[in-house]
Amino acid sequence: MAILTRRTVLRSSIGAAAVGALSRPYIANAAATTAEVWWTQGFVPEEDAAFKTLVANYEKESGNKIDYSITPYAALRQKEISAITSGVVPDMMEIADFAITPINAWDDKLVELDDVVNPVKSQFTKTALDCCYHYNNKTKKRSYYITPMKVAAVPFHIWKSLVEKGGGKISELPKTWDAFMDFFKPVQKGLRAAGMRNVYALGYQLTTNGVDPINTFNAWLTAYGGSGLVTADGKLHSDNAQVKDAFIQAIKNLTTPFKEGYVPPGCVNWNDADDNNAFHSKLMVMDFDGTISTEVALYHKKEEYDDILTHGLPLSNDGKELPAQVAVFGPVIPKGAKNLDAAKEFAKYMIQPKVLNEYLKAGLGRWVIPVADIVKSDPFWLKEDPHREAYTTMSVISPTYPIYEAYNPAMAQVGAEHVIMTSCFDVMNNGMAPEQAAAKAFKRMEEIFTKYPIAQS
Amino acid sequence: MTTASIVAVGRPAIPRYQSLLRHLQGGLKGSEYTWAIAFIVPYAAVFLAFLAYPVVYGLWMGSEPSLYRELFSDPIYQSTVINTLLFLGLGVNLKMFCALLMSGFFMRRGWWVKALLMIYVLPWAVPALPTFISIHWMLNGEWGLLNNFLYNVFGIEGPSWLNSHWLALGSAIFSHVWKWMPFWTVILLAGRMSIPQELNDAAAVDGATGIRRFVHVSFPLRANLYLICTLLSTIFTLGDFNSVYFVTGGGPANSTHVLATLGIRDAFQVARPDLGVATVMTALPLLIPLVIILMRKLRTTEVQL
Repeated sequence: MAILTRRTVLRSSIGAAAVGALSRPYIANAAATTAEVWWTQGFVPEEDAAFKTLVANYEKESGNKIDYSITPYAALRQKEISAITSGVVPDMMEIADFAITPINAWDDKLVELDDVVNPVKSQFTKTALDCCYHYNNKTKKRSYYITPMKVAAVPFHIWKSLVEKGGGKISELPKTWDAFMDFFKPVQKGLRAAGMRNVYALGYQLTTNGVDPINTFNAWLTAYGGSGLVTADGKLHSDNAQVKDAFIQAIKNLTTPFKEGYVPPGCVNWNDADDNNAFHSKLMVMDFDGTISTEVALYHKKEEYDDILTHGLPLSNDGKELPAQVAVFGPVIPKGAKNLDAAKEFAKYMIQPKVLNEYLKAGLGRWVIPVADIVKSDPFWLKEDPHREAYTTMSVISPTYPIYEAYNPAMAQVGAEHVIMTSCFDVMNNGMAPEQAAAKAFKRMEEIFTKYPIAQS
Repeated sequence: MTTASIVAVGRPAIPRYQSLLRHLQGGLKGSEYTWAIAFIVPYAAVFLAFLAYPVVYGLWMGSEPSLYRELFSDPIYQSTVINTLLFLGLGVNLKMFCALLMSGFFMRRGWWVKALLMIYVLPWAVPALPTFISIHWMLNGEWGLLNNFLYNVFGIEGPSWLNSHWLALGSAIFSHVWKWMPFWTVILLAGRMSIPQELNDAAAVDGATGIRRFVHVSFPLRANLYLICTLLSTIFTLGDFNSVYFVTGGGPANSTHVLATLGIRDAFQVARPDLGVATVMTALPLLIPLVIILMRKLRTTEVQL
């Protein structure tokens, strides 16, 4: 029998500690056919189920293994930024955010995905590709850093029953921008007269949280002819007269209905989901909010689902078709990924149009496929559901342009600081003139843009 | 020859390095020293991994001077510093003073006082996030519980609580006080209970009652505890993210951010962790003196009458 002495205890302890420290978890020891993937949790369970099916199909076809985790958006975002900062990264992570990719591509912390995207590039829409094409400040060139998978645009959501109850007719919805907005004002008056004390005509985010207020402002800016605020060369055009006028007009026409009482006053401090909750509670006749998650959340409540009208952008005031600004989400591969080849293999599999289509359809079409041919040929997108039809049309078929963050990461900081909404607040609550508010916003934007100079080829 | 000389001559001279080694070993010899090392290694490893490393890493991340130039040029930063000072000054003092008064109330005898204490500590016991999110909803100007109550009961339209800087900051401070006052009440209550009743009885015999007894007897006996609790609470409150983030979200228009929330915004919304760390680092000139004063006060053991 062995005698337990001080030396044997110490030796055993040191040995155990060494084994614990040096051994690796199973995944890291596995061959390069395993990839660790972080994915965003869907708005509805069907989205998560669709991703699990995608993974299962891939594993079956390839023999490779995907070690995935599905995490809610906000938590995943923090996890991803922490991972990139610490250098302890997964092999692939989905980005559903405007800032992480442009800023980390700029800092050379992401792997170029040209070899993943180029083989299928011809099938994808130009806007979708542009959304994924970011500038690297180290290499001084642009490359693909996101695998283009999910297109998102911002439609209007309208309660048909509230419009009718307030004395309006859906069939009489005006075609042009200002008239479209004004249409809802008498509806609010009608509803108030019918006893609905706290119902509002217009719902849009004027808060300094999340990406919704950025989308809102950019849509109004586009409506008044200012979509050239930032161009593909990454330049800010705050000195352009047309952009400047549109910028002022957008501030004015977003804040005036607020001051007149047609927008819920609380919208200056809403969180991301607050407008969805208010709309679902029928406290707003109309809501301008990204994707058709508003409708999809009611997918199993047929009556309410059918009571919503999903509406694309109206025409400009002079009757021209307006381009919708769209974002494209998908996975990136951070530098330092241990199983780079396995991650790229999975990315190549996912963006095969047929595979991608089945995945997005199973997720109820909340995200649109950035492949125009499939959108036109598969009845799922344009024929089977009125919400999906309107949303898909504005996201892929009608004119579109990418989010400004793809052109220059400075806009990611402008958005995160909510420079423009802070100026809108000055107009709404502090009595500032829209012209002054625009000048204030431009000054800060110009300061931020000086930190992100983009070399012109 | 002196006694000391005789002793010195009778013993072999100890080399200086051995003497130093023995000093460093704290007087422990042989296996005692080895065991001591073996026991201290896990603690040292945990300390280095989970305390020293994150702090040093944070200092390293925030060590670039350009980060501070960038931070100070952010127009939100200056208002954030003022908000932080207001949040600390008002939040901590209001909370501690009310806690002091409430601890006096809960010293009363009676079953109903004990029952009330159980209810009183609930805000502290329940999870922070759901309660702060509930407060955010309750304060919604149009559909929130508070304004609906005001309208239905008194027929008045309440203000948009989260739309003005002062009301929103006040709401965040109120939420912080509501959440943490029970905890400090219990601490001060425990402090009160440790003071012998004889002192109060003697003061009563000498004619000190009511406010005079509080000013000349009760409060001086608790002054040190109160000060230590206030310092500790100030340090905790400086890092309080939840009360502001989930009640006001830093809004309206970024006007109610404190350093803790601005740091998180910079780290995770602007996607610049280095800037976020730099934001939090600017609290150090306030934090370090607080910790030093706290340490010095903790050395004081006697009651200061």
